[in-house]
Amino acid sequence: MPSPTRRLLLKAVLAGYATAWLPTAWAAPGDAGQAAFLDLSALLVGRSYVDPAQGKPLFEAFKAQAGDFPNRCLALLAQIQARQLDPATLQRVLDAEASPLAALPRQVARAWLQGVVGSGTKARCLAYETALNAQMVGDVLRPPSYAYGAYGSWASAERSDA
Amino acid sequence: MPDAEVVVIGSGICGALAARRLALAGADVLVLEAGGPIERGQVVAAFRDSPRKSDWLAPYPYHPWAPHPLYLPEENNYLVQAGPDPWPVQYLRGVGGTSWHWAAQAWRLLPSDLRLASLYGVGVDWPLSYEELDPWYQEAEELMGVAGAEDTGSPRSQPFPMAPVAEPWAMRRIRERLAPLYAVTANTAARNSRSYGGRPACCGNNSCQPICPIDAQYHGGLAIRSALDAGARLQSHAVVHRLEADAGGRIRAAHYLTPDGQPRQVSGQVFIVAANGVESPKLLLMSGLANRSGQVGRNLMDHLSTALTFEADEPLWLGRGPQSPSAINSRRDGEFRREHAAYRLDFTNISRVDSVTNDLLEKGVYGPAFEQQLRRRVAHEMGVRNVLEVLPDPANRIVLSGRTDALGLPTPQVHYRIDDYVRRGAQAAQQDFALIAERMGGQRLRYSAAGKFSANHHITGTLAMGDDPARSVCDRYGRAHDHDNLYLCGTAVMPTSGTMNATLTAVALALRSAEQIRPMPAARA
Ligand SMILES: Cc1cc2nc3c(=O)[nH]c(=O)nc-3n(C[C@H](O)[C@H](O)[C@H](O)COP(=O)(O)OP(=O)(O)OC[C@H]3O[C@@H](n4cnc5c(N)ncnc54)[C@H](O)[C@@H]3O)c2cc1C
Ligand code: SF4
Repeated sequence: MPSPTRRLLLKAVLAGYATAWLPTAWAAPGDAGQAAFLDLSALLVGRSYVDPAQGKPLFEAFKAQAGDFPNRCLALLAQIQARQLDPATLQRVLDAEASPLAALPRQVARAWLQGVVGSGTKARCLAYETALNAQMVGDVLRPPSYAYGAYGSWASAERSDA
Repeated sequence: MPDAEVVVIGSGICGALAARRLALAGADVLVLEAGGPIERGQVVAAFRDSPRKSDWLAPYPYHPWAPHPLYLPEENNYLVQAGPDPWPVQYLRGVGGTSWHWAAQAWRLLPSDLRLASLYGVGVDWPLSYEELDPWYQEAEELMGVAGAEDTGSPRSQPFPMAPVAEPWAMRRIRERLAPLYAVTANTAARNSRSYGGRPACCGNNSCQPICPIDAQYHGGLAIRSALDAGARLQSHAVVHRLEADAGGRIRAAHYLTPDGQPRQVSGQVFIVAANGVESPKLLLMSGLANRSGQVGRNLMDHLSTALTFEADEPLWLGRGPQSPSAINSRRDGEFRREHAAYRLDFTNISRVDSVTNDLLEKGVYGPAFEQQLRRRVAHEMGVRNVLEVLPDPANRIVLSGRTDALGLPTPQVHYRIDDYVRRGAQAAQQDFALIAERMGGQRLRYSAAGKFSANHHITGTLAMGDDPARSVCDRYGRAHDHDNLYLCGTAVMPTSGTMNATLTAVALALRSAEQIRPMPAARA
């Protein structure tokens, strides 16, 4: 169950926001930054729920790289709510207005989709086979370096009608 | 007493398999290797932990005392690019060498590839014939465990060690839909289609580059292990920086530095330089040896590629099975070679998940659209590239740069210009690209940037063999024209590049050099 603080936060930042976008992930009580990170994450990766246990190490790694990360998540989430920004056009809008938060959606999305936090020499990979991009095609493909199956199993028709 | 009968410099696939053969023939062999060890399990773990899955150098250990070129996350500028065109080649310095992260394509050349000058009036002829190479190809294929189909255009007197690896579904569909316009053939690869050499059959991990987690594909790490099993000795962490010749021109010692800069030397009766197509000429240039012809480091060739990516009208799901399974060979030879580069067309089966994810993130695709687009593109995207022959040109060369590495040794510098022969070949391949896309119902066609070529890391020509000591570095056995106890092994000795990945040919030539140095007693052959 969400804590009272958490409820207040959601009320504050998501009031009026389409229910389809309401993520159901809950952070530890009292950690508004982490809660915002999870809500933002769910919006960006197109899921109604992202696993807080999977999100925790990502959040901690972001925070270790930049102390203001939680505040940036709060700020972006607040903007999305206030301006009814759609994930489909979010990046274009932020880029067009040269928003100081323009880099954030990509950073957060990459963390979930590829398990990678940070860039350049600071980049770290925290998830691979559990990263969402692997899961999204997991009914058909194995992540490279994991055995597809017995010799020759790849010769038959694909297992999906995507 | 010399420290060893044969001193081999470089523990890559060519040096290691020459060392193995010499040890089996009864020679006392010492292999000097600049880098440190490479462990398969560690590389697999590092790949899974790597933030750059498409950067195949990233999971490998980097030895600061024996650097290799690095491009990501930042260029280390070890290989100085003098232009005019860039040549971002990759290789590894470590025990076993670069083929740890190769694609294991192990094709033979075509007979005509060795006679370019006499047949088509371009390039040069080799000092030996395809027929002379045939038994050495066979020996190399049996050592490396090569699987292939019979219809490659390269004659053979004995069958392949193994049948081709099972065809991935995607490649089957491509083959079926391109027939009869194009014959799509199984790639010849050092990849097990059954248990072979104590190693298992491929199980489709699709990480052949940068690392096969189960050793279903052959590599230099296995080669050096087999050399040690045969009795050769290995000294790693030994950066050879100078060969020393006596007054009569015979090589008497190899001088090396340890990682902390301590000087050491070993003496020997015969020396083999097998440090790869960049580092071998660099060593000879640093030593001021074997260069009466002025050709050391010159005539640098690599296969160059342009590519087309598009979405086929049916789901193919690349990424099931090995990475590079199929090719079209019909553009490898013909009268057109007088005018433009020959090429092979190569179909990738590398999983699209990482590259499409990168692209969608780059474009800022978020929300439910991400998953929809990821699945559509990963299912439907396919890629074809050409592998273009490059002609020898003395102006394309490796020299010593003005920079030095951590041990104070000069780093290599490359001068590289892509000529019109290659550009015309790429132009011709555009028509094939378009036809292939049409046949596959291709949409959203994305050609590689016009005028830009990617490297294939098949470093040929820089120590080319030939009959004329004034125009080549070594003879038909890889023996330096100027030093009768110095042999050169590796892709660098190839005088032309053909359209096929170079390693199998280099291994065949290295085995032939070994036989020349010390013939295998009949009982052990
Ligand atoms: C991504 C990639 C994919 C490839 N795919 C294919 C393919 O599918 N098919 C194919 O045919 N080829 C392929 N290649 C090329 C192939 O890897 C090389 O042709 C092959 O490794 C050459 O073998 P080598 O023994 O001559 O050199 P290397 O494998 O480079 O070994 C040279 C050794 O010498 C050592 N050395 C260097 N300098 C010194 C020194 N000063 N002192 C002592 N030791 C030294 C190095 O550390 C290294 O161990 C690929 C290469 C790359 C990078
Ligand atoms: S597909 Fe997998 S098992 Fe097969 S060679 Fe490639 S990495 Fe090895």
